[in-house]
Amino acid sequence: MPAAKVPWFIIDWTSKSSHPGSSMSYHFQLNMMPLALGALIAGALALYTWQNRRAVAAAPFSIMMLILYEWQISYIFELAGTDLSTKLFWDKAMFFGVVATPVAWLVFALEYTGRKTWINARRFVMLSIIPVFTLVIILTNDLHQLFWTRMTLSAEGEFLVLVPRYGPWYWIHTVYSYTLIIIGFFLIIRTLLRWPTQYRGQMVWVLFATVTPFIANILFVFRIVPVLIDLTPIAFTVTGIGLAFAVFHYRLLDIAPIARDIVVDGMKDGMIVLDANRRIVDINRAAQQMIGLSGEQAPIGKTLPHVLAKWPDLIERYRDVLEAEDEIRVGEGETQRWYELGLSALLDGNKSLIGRVITVHDITDRKQAESQLQESEARFRQIVENASDIIYRVDTSGCLTYANPAAMRVLGYESEKDVIGRHYLDLVAPEVRHKVKRIYEHQFLSKTPTTYHELPAIAADGREIWLGQNVQLIYEGDQITGFQSLARDITAIKQAYDALRLAHDQALEANLAKTRLLSKVSHELRTPLGGILGYAELLQRNSFGPLNEKQKRATSEIVESADYLATMVSELLDEAQLRSSTATLLENVFSPFKLIKQATSGMDILAQKKGLEFSSYTDPDLPQGIFGDERRIRQIVINLIGNAIKFTKEGSVHLNVMRHNENHWGIQVTDTGIGIPKEAQASIFEPFQQVRSEVTRDNRGIGLGLSITKQLVELMNGRILLESEPGQGSTFTVLLPIKAIG
Amino acid sequence: MPKPLAFIIEDDPQLNEIMSITLQADFELETCVDGDTAMERLKNVVPRIIILDLNLPGTSGRDILTCIRSDERLAKTRVILTTADNRQAETLHNDADIVLLKPVSPKQLRELALRVISMP
Repeated sequence: MPAAKVPWFIIDWTSKSSHPGSSMSYHFQLNMMPLALGALIAGALALYTWQNRRAVAAAPFSIMMLILYEWQISYIFELAGTDLSTKLFWDKAMFFGVVATPVAWLVFALEYTGRKTWINARRFVMLSIIPVFTLVIILTNDLHQLFWTRMTLSAEGEFLVLVPRYGPWYWIHTVYSYTLIIIGFFLIIRTLLRWPTQYRGQMVWVLFATVTPFIANILFVFRIVPVLIDLTPIAFTVTGIGLAFAVFHYRLLDIAPIARDIVVDGMKDGMIVLDANRRIVDINRAAQQMIGLSGEQAPIGKTLPHVLAKWPDLIERYRDVLEAEDEIRVGEGETQRWYELGLSALLDGNKSLIGRVITVHDITDRKQAESQLQESEARFRQIVENASDIIYRVDTSGCLTYANPAAMRVLGYESEKDVIGRHYLDLVAPEVRHKVKRIYEHQFLSKTPTTYHELPAIAADGREIWLGQNVQLIYEGDQITGFQSLARDITAIKQAYDALRLAHDQALEANLAKTRLLSKVSHELRTPLGGILGYAELLQRNSFGPLNEKQKRATSEIVESADYLATMVSELLDEAQLRSSTATLLENVFSPFKLIKQATSGMDILAQKKGLEFSSYTDPDLPQGIFGDERRIRQIVINLIGNAIKFTKEGSVHLNVMRHNENHWGIQVTDTGIGIPKEAQASIFEPFQQVRSEVTRDNRGIGLGLSITKQLVELMNGRILLESEPGQGSTFTVLLPIKAIG
Repeated sequence: MPKPLAFIIEDDPQLNEIMSITLQADFELETCVDGDTAMERLKNVVPRIIILDLNLPGTSGRDILTCIRSDERLAKTRVILTTADNRQAETLHNDADIVLLKPVSPKQLRELALRVISMP
């Protein structure tokens, strides 16, 4: 360790061009021009970008350029200085630029890569601590020699240069500076890799411009090449040019790639940028998703046919297409998607193709909705077109706007053209036009939503065709725009109906004639029967003198036969009237108690004659007055009891008149007679039906009693029920409605 | 006590006879075989009971019934209507005191005639 204190710099004169120690003197040379040019460019850029400092990273760029300008100017003066003190002064001045550049660079890199918010005042102060300290050390180096331990002058070609030997702080400063530079460098590299290719030119220029001075600096600092002159500022000339190129050619600070990231990647629509060779230079996230490459590395640099290998037909279709706007379908079935494809050519200033932009808008939802609409439209169309009924529409002026094929077919027209546009009344039979018009006018005015009419239409060949049609008003909003009609050819039905009505009228007429005949016949029979019965009875009563036994028996036979004949006539007439539905009910309020009393009087005598027991019970809960045909109900009761007595040889006949439920009362006749076999029960109510084996002379009849009873009960909206077992007797129950009185 | 007067209006002579014989024991009788004569006769007599056939030559039984019902003098006269037509029997049910469907049993006629005049 040298004890003697030696001056930290040695002046090594290898040139005699100046006088050391004197006041500043300079010797500018022509070969300093590159440095001067670099400085000029840096200054110009600083000015230019400052004017555009609102652009992304423009402000730090401008400041960096200003610092570089200062660096280069100082260096020029240092090189031009002809004495050591001049050189030392400028060398120190130069270090303002040297220490400030890495900080400015890092700030620029942060801002340019979208990290502007990271830089706040506190962080900026922290970043600046070492550079500021370095400056202080440099300015006070004479006291401690922490930066330079020795400085010599050396002639390098035409230059007289300072050759320093560095102290420990120099290395701290160097390491710190390189750290900041490298951080900035990697920030930019990383962003560059994520940026689409069209920005790469710009980025390469930026990087080239950035890296060059530092390579030069490294070469100089580490003495990798044997030069004494610091090439860094010369390299900064390159930097200036490079950045200027980036600025003016690629509009570095005008275009904000960040914005592209946010906007383009954030878009829902897919976007692919191709170069002239169909290589992908940019693709956004949405496009990647559509292709099915989401999550993968963006296929930058690959050709489109390669990326879209799954859809060769698409590639083929758009191979040479420059401009297009199409809807395309991709995939099949469930995964099928629809896209709106936009294709635009990218032309440079000379109108020559440099690439194409593809935009892809997913319209699957819209397409699905459209196709559903189409399907449903088709479905309804099919229904309408295939309908066998006529469907047509008419506007408010009465002109036909639509008619389905059934309309053509039924009315015998060849094509729609024969009908569309015509007035609907042209197709209506002339004699009813006025009436039909009035009906529709009324529907329009009264806004009746639906009406039904039957009208004769006129077919193409003049035939009359009856249509039954439902007519509905058509609304658009609350405005009536016309009517639509669903019509059916009812000509055949109409004819059948007319024929049926004629037949019905004839049948009715015939029936009435039959009934009239029967009435006449019965009337004509009843009068002589009156004679027979009357004289026979008078004979029985000895009105014409006493009779012997034989005469008495003969007379009673006459009476019995006449009675039977009279009953038969009555029943035949009843049956005929009920069958022809000409029987009517004479309804009035009557007392059921009185009716039952009247109907059963004499029944016990009848029963006694056959040795039967007759009993009856009338429910006191029955209403005092019931509305109905008293005579016919009495006829029913007498019929049922008479029948029971007729077909019961021994035992009893019981009548039970009850309140069946809230709305019905019942007449129930139970006997212990021969009963009715199951197979006969169904037909027992048919006319002229009797259980043949059980018919004897005593119980003969023509078999109309139950038929008449059933028909009378049904005429009264009642029901008749039969429960019977052969040998066990029978129970007939008649249920009649209790009609409200009033 | 004189027997009550029964007026038999029946165009069929046999039935007229049967009715007459049937009722002669209990009633004073007048008979008639056509509507017009019956109408004339009714101006002068007030029978206790009239046996009236509906189907008559001349004035019909229905018209005679209407006449009887509108005549104050005949307010207490009972009417037994006889007819061979069951429809008419039904419709006139309320106008006559009793409607009998032919053939009429003499025994029944006598019973009913006696019963109907005893009604208040």
